Amino acid sequence: MMEGVVVKLPSFPFLNPSISSPSSSSSLPLRLGFRRFSASLPAVKEGSVSLGHLTRPDFPILHQEVNGSKLVYLDNAATSQKPTAVLNALHHYYEAYNSNVHRGIHYLSAKATDEYELARKKVATFINASDSTEIVFTRNATEAINLVAYTWGLSNLKPGDEIVTSIAEHHSAIVPWQIVAQKTGAVLKFVSLDENEVPDVKQLREMISSRTELVVVHHVSNVLASVLPIEDIVIWAHEAGAKVLVDACQSVPHMVVDVQRLDADFLVASSHKMCGPTGIGFLFGKSNLLSAMPPFLGGGEMISDVFLDHSTYAEPPSRFEAGTPAIGEAIGLGAAIDYLSQIGMQKIHDYEIELANYLYEKLCSVPNIRIYGPKPSDKVQRAALCSFNVENIHPTDLATFLDQQHGVAIRSGHHCAQPLHRHLGVNASARASLHFYNTEEDVDDFIRSLNDTVSFFNSFK
Amino acid sequence: MSSYYISSARFFFSKFPISFHSTNPFLSPIKPPSFISFQKISTKSPSPLRSSSSSSTQLQPMEELPPKLQEIIKLFQSVEEPKAKYEQLMFYGKNLKPLDTQFKTKENKVEGCVSQVWVRAYLDQDKNVVYEADSDSVLTKGLAALLVNGLSGRPVQEVLRVSPDFAVLLGLQQSLTPSRNNGFLNMLKLMQRKALELLIEAEKGGESSSNGQVVDDGLSPPSGSSEKPIENSILDSKLDENSGVESGSEKGSEESLSDLGSRGKRIREKLERELSPVVLEVEDVSYQHAGHAGVRGSDGETHFNLRIVSKEFEGKSLVKRHRLIYGLLDEELQSGLHALSIVAKTPSEAEAK
Repeated sequence: MMEGVVVKLPSFPFLNPSISSPSSSSSLPLRLGFRRFSASLPAVKEGSVSLGHLTRPDFPILHQEVNGSKLVYLDNAATSQKPTAVLNALHHYYEAYNSNVHRGIHYLSAKATDEYELARKKVATFINASDSTEIVFTRNATEAINLVAYTWGLSNLKPGDEIVTSIAEHHSAIVPWQIVAQKTGAVLKFVSLDENEVPDVKQLREMISSRTELVVVHHVSNVLASVLPIEDIVIWAHEAGAKVLVDACQSVPHMVVDVQRLDADFLVASSHKMCGPTGIGFLFGKSNLLSAMPPFLGGGEMISDVFLDHSTYAEPPSRFEAGTPAIGEAIGLGAAIDYLSQIGMQKIHDYEIELANYLYEKLCSVPNIRIYGPKPSDKVQRAALCSFNVENIHPTDLATFLDQQHGVAIRSGHHCAQPLHRHLGVNASARASLHFYNTEEDVDDFIRSLNDTVSFFNSFK
Repeated sequence: MSSYYISSARFFFSKFPISFHSTNPFLSPIKPPSFISFQKISTKSPSPLRSSSSSSTQLQPMEELPPKLQEIIKLFQSVEEPKAKYEQLMFYGKNLKPLDTQFKTKENKVEGCVSQVWVRAYLDQDKNVVYEADSDSVLTKGLAALLVNGLSGRPVQEVLRVSPDFAVLLGLQQSLTPSRNNGFLNMLKLMQRKALELLIEAEKGGESSSNGQVVDDGLSPPSGSSEKPIENSILDSKLDENSGVESGSEKGSEESLSDLGSRGKRIREKLERELSPVVLEVEDVSYQHAGHAGVRGSDGETHFNLRIVSKEFEGKSLVKRHRLIYGLLDEELQSGLHALSIVAKTPSEAEAK
């Protein structure tokens, strides 16, 4: 690895001028816990200007019409939109310094390497990993989970070992472990939902035993909008000698996530859900764990020496990053992290709690609606998304009509959580999911359109 | 969204040569779709994605499509407003004969649909393929009904020749998401695959499997088929019409004569007078269109199926023949006749059939 050989000051693309703050330069991310500085943005709602209104101009894609109506994008849990800063970073990379990383000597490749490794540092800082070598770049969270399954899983699991997870997991957190369990003879155990329609944490605690080797859980559910007490779960798992893999896809983009405080062993997230480009994600793994894991994909970069009859492997994270990485995309993710940090994850979280409550409350007013997951309260926080069904109307019909007649983008289906839907007794649900650039007006538009849609279909019956 | 049905169906398609004419008189100007979904599907070697339907000059000629399907296409083309298209679609779905639960099996399930869709197929005594379908989503059910109505009761070869491109002509693409469109394609592919399987089994001569069995569904013999009340299955009437045509008798037209309203009678008289047809069938199918707003408010007699065999058509191109007929019925068209579905043949052509 060429880290540090050529020391050049990184030049950041100028961050969004519309979020102007007196000390913008000082909040640029550097190595040490900058993230803890609160962004110098005004309060979440300053007079009538919410975070949503403030940031909307940064997202060009939101300002368009679809099917003759203004676009109302409410499918953020599927993927988020990207601010101009990220688009510029990507463009600038390919325009000014695209070059292969780590092995080159020349100027461009040194610069590309710097920026790529800087992006890694930004990710590490963003989630408060103790070192950037604990961040492995992957294609997305799914690949990251597969990485753990095929390396840590295959080399550590033995017949009878237990993997504890929940029925509400995303398929990417279930299927790789099914495959590995089959290969190793390990057993998957599933925690069900409690009466609040949240994974039963008590049951989870009881399920963890000396036989448990791994606990795989989501931080925030992409269907139920519930938040799990990861810190507690990790304590229980560690007491039993088990490791914990946290699926943070729906949490990292929306709130402060601190892997040291959580003490998670593995944590995964995808860039495209946090305002970064697609094609890049990451695995966080504690150094000692990563060091003990055999390689995942074989090829260049992950080796130390290659002979005809054997090869030796590089140290993590390189060991798990075979081949030319998604360099531009990693840098784009870095720019996304800069953008988010500029606003401040706590501010984003606070605003989204408000939006979440507003969405839930408004949605409740739709007749014959059934919203999945817990009711929000002082003690129970919901993420800013709602999966729901309206009696006697198929969610696909809802989503189609909403899109065609109202330009409202929601999702219909099982949201990669078939076991959960089976448990809830439905084939599919509709889901509206928000991000910090959505506004209360978006919610109002959605509810109005939804009511119109429901009337249309009801009138036909 | 799974596409393995599409790729597996290509295998079938390559066996049946399909000719594409370079012009299609029935293409109505349609806005370029904002999604590029089914255009990928081509019976030729993989062609590049086309993002605009108007740039596609390789649509299957309408005449090759089953007659009912042609009619449905024309209907949807005449309905401009998306909401009205939905209503018409849902109307089809509402009138679809319910599918018995025992047929909602894995083999009958259409893969890749966001909602659940089942299609059942069997051969009737004339070796035509008959379809039944169901779905839990009303829009998807409408699409299924559209296909069932369009394809059911037709010979297997005709069904297999149907290229999915006709979906462009429906103009529903703008009203439906790409994933639904693909569901539509998968439905069609499944129906074609089942038709082929039935044909193969029937040719093997086997009667053991239920698929190859001649099914007597308690279909009533053709009687008053043209003016069935809306609640009854459109499927039944189609079968009746089909068996009427196949048996070569004029029963169908005799039946419809007695049920024709004043306009229908006028149409008959005019055509008989002007064309001295060898065969003339006039069928009032307005009830099929009762669902959409364009027809609401009129007192029926808006849509007719015409089948005319006459010497007058000799030497005239298809377009000329249609123009001739439209010309003769101009008065009717001005006073509430909405659409005609025309089959116009010369006596020699009819015999060659």
